[in-house]
Amino acid sequence: MNHEEHIINTIHTTFKSAEAEIQRKGRLLIRLRSDLLPAFVSYLKNYLDFNHLVMISCVDWMEDNQFELVYHLYSYAQKVHAMVKVRLNRSQPQAQTILPFWDQAGTYEREIHEMYGVYFEGHPDLSEFILEDWDDIPPMRRDFKTREFVNENYEWRKGREDAQDVRRTISERYDEKLPQFNNDDKANG
Amino acid sequence: MKNIKGVFLPFSALKFLGKKPHTVRYPLEKKKTAERYRGFHYNDIEECIGCGTCATICQNEAIDMIKIDGIEPKKGDSGLRPRVDNGRCCWCGLCVEMCPTGSLSLTDQYLQTTPDPESFLLIPGVDHPEYGEHKSFVKDDEIRLLDLQRVPMRELDGAERVKSFAEVVLGYMQEEARREASRCVDCAICVTACPDHMHIPEYIAAIADADDELALKYIYDNNPLPELCGKVCTRQCETVCAISHLGDPIAIRWLKRYATEQFPDPAVILNPKIAEPNGKKVGIVGGGPAGLSAGFYLALRGFDVTVYEALPKAGGMTFAGIPKYRFPEDSLDKQISYMEKIGVKIKTNTRIGKDISFEELEKRHDALFLGVGFHVPYRLGIIGEDLKNSIQAVDFLREINLGNKVDVGDKVVVIGGGNVAIDAARVARRLGAEVTILYRRRVEDMPADWEEIEGAEHEGVKIVPQGIPLEIIGKDGKVAAIKYGMAEMVPDPKGGRPRPKLIEGDEHTMEVTSVIGAIGQEADYSFLPERIKEKLEIERGRIKVNEYKQTTIDYIFAGGDTVNRTMDAISAIADGVKAVEGIERFLLGDKNK
Repeated sequence: MNHEEHIINTIHTTFKSAEAEIQRKGRLLIRLRSDLLPAFVSYLKNYLDFNHLVMISCVDWMEDNQFELVYHLYSYAQKVHAMVKVRLNRSQPQAQTILPFWDQAGTYEREIHEMYGVYFEGHPDLSEFILEDWDDIPPMRRDFKTREFVNENYEWRKGREDAQDVRRTISERYDEKLPQFNNDDKANG
Repeated sequence: MKNIKGVFLPFSALKFLGKKPHTVRYPLEKKKTAERYRGFHYNDIEECIGCGTCATICQNEAIDMIKIDGIEPKKGDSGLRPRVDNGRCCWCGLCVEMCPTGSLSLTDQYLQTTPDPESFLLIPGVDHPEYGEHKSFVKDDEIRLLDLQRVPMRELDGAERVKSFAEVVLGYMQEEARREASRCVDCAICVTACPDHMHIPEYIAAIADADDELALKYIYDNNPLPELCGKVCTRQCETVCAISHLGDPIAIRWLKRYATEQFPDPAVILNPKIAEPNGKKVGIVGGGPAGLSAGFYLALRGFDVTVYEALPKAGGMTFAGIPKYRFPEDSLDKQISYMEKIGVKIKTNTRIGKDISFEELEKRHDALFLGVGFHVPYRLGIIGEDLKNSIQAVDFLREINLGNKVDVGDKVVVIGGGNVAIDAARVARRLGAEVTILYRRRVEDMPADWEEIEGAEHEGVKIVPQGIPLEIIGKDGKVAAIKYGMAEMVPDPKGGRPRPKLIEGDEHTMEVTSVIGAIGQEADYSFLPERIKEKLEIERGRIKVNEYKQTTIDYIFAGGDTVNRTMDAISAIADGVKAVEGIERFLLGDKNK
């Protein structure tokens, strides 16, 4: 039995619902229910020597109505990188803080709170971080309309009005009449 | 002593004056930038095709496509060139990674100091052409965001193919089509080359988005015979495809074929709105692609359309000329039945001048469209041409397609290098004969599609290039052998293709059972009365028409091989579609006025 398999077996003795896979040598991926997260990372830190929190990131799975938090942990003793993934309900994203185990987790959580709107229970200070006076939806969410925001808030450089659309240029030159099929057409066949 | 040393010691520092300094380089040398440094853009203006992929991919909207003096749009080039707003650019290099021609690069130049913010709008390659010497971040073959390899098309094996007339190309499966369509960068350069200017990027995007119905709508918008084109089109679009500059072009033809093959009856999906009858009658002579296309859109616009076809089935050369292993009859039937559903009346077995007079036609209709095609083969012009079993490819293919038997024996020679010659050779091969193609130029000069030539070779057709037929030798009134001489290629003084010149004395004789001639065709205008022929302007066998395919007689329009020089199905369809506009203007007046 190799190193990584041993770790997985150890995890499974306590966390039976965790889905673990070995991505390659020295790299584990573990998926798990979000409410088990603090207990799980504490277990990894204290029993299995994963004492380095590399970073926390967030992925917006808009189509599934979920956010995914990814905790990257590293064990210097075992030379193994573990990615712990938990999914949250996107309409009411809530997770528990892991601040008691790593102080630096606070900064990541504060940023994710600002950029995605995920609330971390137990975090002492989720106040404004990088953005100032932000009253729109969190900007890293995929449904945030960046282009609209830019057009409302910034000016375009002058002298770019002569820009041409390639598709339109070609269809006009060859007298190609591009049809428009709207959704009504599609519905009616 | 100590004191004296203290006086002289400072002067010993003077010796350093003669030493080469380690730190200051004088005169000042510019430091080299890092390898693959990403500075200002450079664009090879000649190589760029103005596809706009750089502008599309730019995450900062820093790139505009603009018109530049001296660069004209042409086939395969939109005529636009990128201009970069360096105030927005973040030098990520995505534009370079995505550039399908490889013309765009980033240089190691990075200095631009000016109080004028407008001067940060630079046209790479036009402003600072000297940056061309400083390319640093160029396209890397190892990291590429474009998928340059085509999804391979499944085909029957050569040995299997010659056993029957089964269709050779098997078509894409759904997953293959989606994957192939996803390679497209949506630039629309292909539209510049399509004679019919089909809405190619739109239908490919629809296929990639898994919306085959929408794809079909875009396809039928200006091509009523897409399944035909999806199988046998000469696909000029693919030759200019942006991706073809560095890789395999998108399989536009196969994708169109995929979309049309998904639906057994296009009418169910398209459910076209047919305009109220407007009382005008249009007669169409010849049921080929040109005539059918004109008829289809005229019928949709409320005209009363009748197509007169001499053969037992409409389709013209696509029915009588193209062998069934390339274009099966089911495909043709499907499209013709859709046309008839729209209201196009097709009168088969009706030859003008024989079954119905031209005068009668003029009396019945308000306008006429001539799409009679080129069905009369050129003669070889050598001795023995009239022997039995010396036949013409178009006649041969027509007889086979009509289901008749033609006995060509077991050793056939086909003369010519066009698609008709290859078709005849491959059909003869399927009849069990050993086939040789005799062509007077080199293989690379053959006007036939390379895929066809390759297909023929896979099926065991032998090609003898630079061979000129001299005489057909007969025995008992039948073909027995062919005498041919080898030729050498000499440059054409007028700058055309190199010409074959017979090498004296280098003659060969090959025993054959049949000779099939395929050196070109011309039109047969004998059905036209003299008074019409006199008024029509016919130049080198082709009827002259204006932009709307109107001939010098205002109520007669023409299209297809009779008119255009490209002589393929898609040009014929384009003529038909264009003539619809012309006929509508002529009969109903210009609506815009």
